[in-house]
Amino acid sequence: MTAIAETPRQAQETAAGEAEKRRRRVPYLLLAPGIIYLILLYVVPLISLVRMALQDGNLQAGYEFTWAWENFAEVFTTYRGQLLRSLLYSVGATVITLLIGYPLAYAIAFRTGRWKNLFLVLLLVPFLIPFLLRTLAWRTILADNGFVVTTLIDLGILPQQGGRLLATGWAVLAGLVYSFLPFMVLPIYVALEKTDRSMLEAAGDLYSNPVTAFWKVTWPLSLPGVISGTLLTLIPAAGDYINVQLLGNPQQTMMGNVIENKFLSVIDYPAAAAISITLMIAIVIAVVFYVRSVGSEDLVA
Amino acid sequence: MAIGNEPSQKPAVELDGVTKQFVDFSAVEDLTLSVDDGKFFALLGPSGCGKTTTLRMIGGFEEPTSGVIRLHGENVTGLKPYKRPVNTVFQSYALFPHLSIFENVAFGLRRSKVSDAEVKQRVGAVLELVQLVGRENRRPRQLSGGQQQRVALARALVNHPRVLLLDEPLGALDLKLRKEMQIELKRIQQEVGITFIHVTHDQEEAMTMADTIAVMNQGRIERMGAPTEIYEDPRTAFVSGFLGASNLMSGKVDGDRGAVALASGGVIQANPNRLPAVGAEVKVGVRPEKIQLFAPGDEDAPPNRLPGKVTDASFIGVSTHYLVDTPQAGEMTVVVQNLDDRRFALGEEVVMAWQPEHTFGVTG
Amino acid sequence: MPRVKRLILPVYLGAGLLYLFLPVLVVILFSFNDNHGRFNVRWQGFTLRHWLDPFRVEEIPQSLLVSIILALVSSAIATAIGTLIALALTRYRFKGRSPTNILLFFPMATPEVVMGSSLLGLFVATRFSTGWITLILAHILFIISYAVATVRARIVGFDRHLEEASMDLYANEWSTFRKVTLPLIMPGVFAAFLLGFALSLDDFVVSNFTSGRIQTYPLYVWSAARRGIPPQVNVWGTIIFVLTVTVMVLFLWSQKRRQRKVGI
Repeated sequence: MTAIAETPRQAQETAAGEAEKRRRRVPYLLLAPGIIYLILLYVVPLISLVRMALQDGNLQAGYEFTWAWENFAEVFTTYRGQLLRSLLYSVGATVITLLIGYPLAYAIAFRTGRWKNLFLVLLLVPFLIPFLLRTLAWRTILADNGFVVTTLIDLGILPQQGGRLLATGWAVLAGLVYSFLPFMVLPIYVALEKTDRSMLEAAGDLYSNPVTAFWKVTWPLSLPGVISGTLLTLIPAAGDYINVQLLGNPQQTMMGNVIENKFLSVIDYPAAAAISITLMIAIVIAVVFYVRSVGSEDLVA
Repeated sequence: MAIGNEPSQKPAVELDGVTKQFVDFSAVEDLTLSVDDGKFFALLGPSGCGKTTTLRMIGGFEEPTSGVIRLHGENVTGLKPYKRPVNTVFQSYALFPHLSIFENVAFGLRRSKVSDAEVKQRVGAVLELVQLVGRENRRPRQLSGGQQQRVALARALVNHPRVLLLDEPLGALDLKLRKEMQIELKRIQQEVGITFIHVTHDQEEAMTMADTIAVMNQGRIERMGAPTEIYEDPRTAFVSGFLGASNLMSGKVDGDRGAVALASGGVIQANPNRLPAVGAEVKVGVRPEKIQLFAPGDEDAPPNRLPGKVTDASFIGVSTHYLVDTPQAGEMTVVVQNLDDRRFALGEEVVMAWQPEHTFGVTG
Repeated sequence: MPRVKRLILPVYLGAGLLYLFLPVLVVILFSFNDNHGRFNVRWQGFTLRHWLDPFRVEEIPQSLLVSIILALVSSAIATAIGTLIALALTRYRFKGRSPTNILLFFPMATPEVVMGSSLLGLFVATRFSTGWITLILAHILFIISYAVATVRARIVGFDRHLEEASMDLYANEWSTFRKVTLPLIMPGVFAAFLLGFALSLDDFVVSNFTSGRIQTYPLYVWSAARRGIPPQVNVWGTIIFVLTVTVMVLFLWSQKRRQRKVGI
């Protein structure tokens, strides 16, 4: 700093300002590696995917950027079945996962006392067996002569002749629910855990009926967790193809299968990209809705 | 165990035109103050008045937007906390949970590369000062609130700082413990001889412990001085209300002998030095304990007299608190020591009277 | 009657856990299956022979080794980056918080197919051949967000003034980080590492797109699912499972012990 015509006071002000500026830079430095990484490896590929979706051509002749909106149109026509099925399965799986998972989260948050961490761990431990093995295990469990199917036939829920679970939508649904259960339970658990106990007690005082107390107080407070869990389940479920391939039948493919197929087997990049982008747009809409209603602080934990 | 040297002539802390601007509001505005060396100084004010921000700027945790901060004459503006010869006792104590009490207290010494032997000796001495010998190997979690507070104090003092900053350190303690600690802190400060700067919103606490109090309001110092001085002569309506009940009346200065003509009729005598210029609008006040109650017509009453009717009387044991409604000044609070059995009943007509030197004038 | 009502949730919890563990039990059980066909689906009797000869199908332990190394490396890097981000988000106020949170959320909500295919698209476009590096990059990508979430939960817990106290006591920023911040967030960092390890070990879809010729354990299982799954797969799956569970239990147990002494 030059000493020319700077009063001591001015010099001190600059010193204070400098220190302040240095302090302000720190968070950005911390964030830099991660954000750069995410941008390079997540955002950029997605953008190029969008570009790809608007192209025309094939592997031999090369691809040309032609604003090929028809690729997107194709998503809704040719792959209508898959689209609807993905929607159906993922929504169905999400709803069921919510119904099953919420009470689980509630139980762990409020009924386990000192052993809370233990139960959380127990919840997560099964997922240390690789995804594929677990899904294959379901194939065994839901096999035609397995315990589950025979019981269901005996109970009359499944028809005597040709009653099976595998290669039906139900097996796929069951597989999806199982796979995504922790993604639903954890955010709800976190949200429930954070709630002020005194609010719940107050609710118990105000409303004589515990069900009403739940609806009016507990449920709204846990809503951010519910929405978070829903987002973490719904969209990935829509893009899943493993469960279909292992537990369903080839007639009933989902969008995920199409993408995988087009990308790795048929190598029709534009079509695959178009479908992927359609899925991504669905997520974006959902996230925007979420952030608008609840804010972004709770998104990441 | 005296840590400080003889109090120096230079003020321990000086703030010169310090302003702290946050994004949407300004916490401290053009603050200038000077703290004498070796004194117990209190920053008093309601929440949000900027006292904690000021303290943090002295400690180096916040940087002023403009202005200069000096410690013993040396400019420290812009210096990081670890470069300043001050230590802080935080409101939440901020004891390191993963270290033992000994290591907590020794933390600053270790960072200053003090030898092991000296560390042991100094930590031992300061723990004795705060009366916590014998618990060196425990963890903070295992101590009570009061004990943790003393560890925080020890951890700061052991480094022989020239100034000790305390950020509402007694806030989390229960009443009895708080009162004990107030006396303790004062004793330690006098024994150790360094400058203490204590932030609090409790006026009783400030008046008990401090040599000098600065009352802050909305980022500025409204009044600074010794406890008796600012209590008896608050000079602004805010300070008079903050430090106790004040019984304010509006009027105009009449002549230069200290007479004030009340807006609602009647004349009050005050010390002319405590009033603004002749003809100026002024609010005058008197503390409740300075007022005595007399029956109407009693000529023994002091010169300042206001008639009224008793609307409430509460016997507190040591004293009786009265609310007296007057035509000139609305409802006034009067506190009478129960020296004799003369009690005034509800609805009784009385005359409130006090000496002129107890009248103070305020602005604002 | 109220008695019964109180039992509903705990019973449900138990049933839920049973449901969650069912496939696990099946996997473990079938490693003992005396099967003679290609597919290990029907129970044919108890045997230990698969356990006694786990290396019969070499590809399995090989692919496992690949997966473990991959998981260690990518989780370590992702945890480090994630910790930095978590620190920034919790300790500082700065502009761009909201976009950062949203950006971090997206990888968790993206279908793996899309992530995998977009990554592959990137690698193709940049003519980067798929292999170890692409695999590691891909795994780091999907672990980061979870790492941030885990560490963050841990940091939020403790007193913001601790770092100020440390600086007040003459420790500069680096010293403060080493002596105060790091020891206190370590459990969270370690938990994030374990989580990342598990996610990486488990991953199939993204790996499928980005692995090139390298075969991770899940990739092997997938290809085996068509041809015929040797029970050794179950054997090794069980081994990994037991090992990871043991590590987790040890970790939690040591945490509990330390908590009692330090009281966080």
